[in-house]
Amino acid sequence: MPNWQELVRQRLSGLALDAAEKDEIHAELAAHLEESYEVFCKEGLPQREAVQRTLVQVADWQDLQRKILIARRREQPMQKRVHQLWIPGFLTLTLSMIFLITLQKLGFQPRIVGSGPNTILFYAPWLASLPFFGALGAYLSAWGGGLLGTVLLASVFPVLALTAAFLLMFPIGFVIERIIGSPVDFSIVATAILRDGIGWILVPGVALLAGGFLVQLLFNRRSLSKETAIG
Amino acid sequence: MIGTGIKRGTAELAVLSVLEGGAMHGYEMARRIERQTKGALRFTLAALYPMLYRMEQHGWIRGAWETSSNGRRKRCYRLTPAGRKKLSPLRREWAELFRALQRLTKVAHA
Repeated sequence: MPNWQELVRQRLSGLALDAAEKDEIHAELAAHLEESYEVFCKEGLPQREAVQRTLVQVADWQDLQRKILIARRREQPMQKRVHQLWIPGFLTLTLSMIFLITLQKLGFQPRIVGSGPNTILFYAPWLASLPFFGALGAYLSAWGGGLLGTVLLASVFPVLALTAAFLLMFPIGFVIERIIGSPVDFSIVATAILRDGIGWILVPGVALLAGGFLVQLLFNRRSLSKETAIG
Repeated sequence: MIGTGIKRGTAELAVLSVLEGGAMHGYEMARRIERQTKGALRFTLAALYPMLYRMEQHGWIRGAWETSSNGRRKRCYRLTPAGRKKLSPLRREWAELFRALQRLTKVAHA
């Protein structure tokens, strides 16, 4: 009788897993082959034929090794989040900000809505570009296996970053004003939050989300057509 | 809605269904499936284990080493609660597929 343990160990020597896991797999597959061989022998097959019939179960050991590796590969939740949210999100944020800075450097003037302290600035070309950036973030996230919520979060990531910046800016400003002793007029703060919230968060957010939704729809349609085609 | 990966789906449904009856090791599982499907479904070692490992990663089954009465150590698989939960929609999906195919073949023969 062949040494099944040794045979499996030799044929699957390239399994890039930790030693204990590799030993477990070798032992499990060897036990399967051994049992299979014994059943063939009990059925009356000569030893040589029983070995052949047993080994026929694995046509390509390299392929089996590759499949086991894929099946055993663990993607940590953190890695998933990096691929599905952080990379697409930061890329969307960086590219959209670079585009905005470029527009400002090229001398594009913002469109001013309102008057006095309530004026809201809109960079029309930037806003027009945001659906594309939102779509890019959503596409990368969906490509990385992101689900609906993650895909949409990745697409609106630039406004999430801006929201975080605003939320940090106000308490910091409040602390500074307390230190230097000048009184804070909360009506001005509230107006500023509303004004900047509309100009830098709400409207850009809608534009980014539009792109994100479009990509999500396309991805859904693609997977639907795959399902209809039955693999 | 019929899901993707029909082949994979068949194999997963077969494994989850046999494990519903109790824990068993890979070889026994393959034999049971072959016997119960009268040879229509056959799992070679190369097809079975990558799938078992993948299903284990998904948390649908759990493998543990056990020593049998003859002193041999075997890795036995059990259905997890997540696996049980997976089984019913999978069954529904397959029933739907078969109904759809039956309708289709009836139309084709009409």
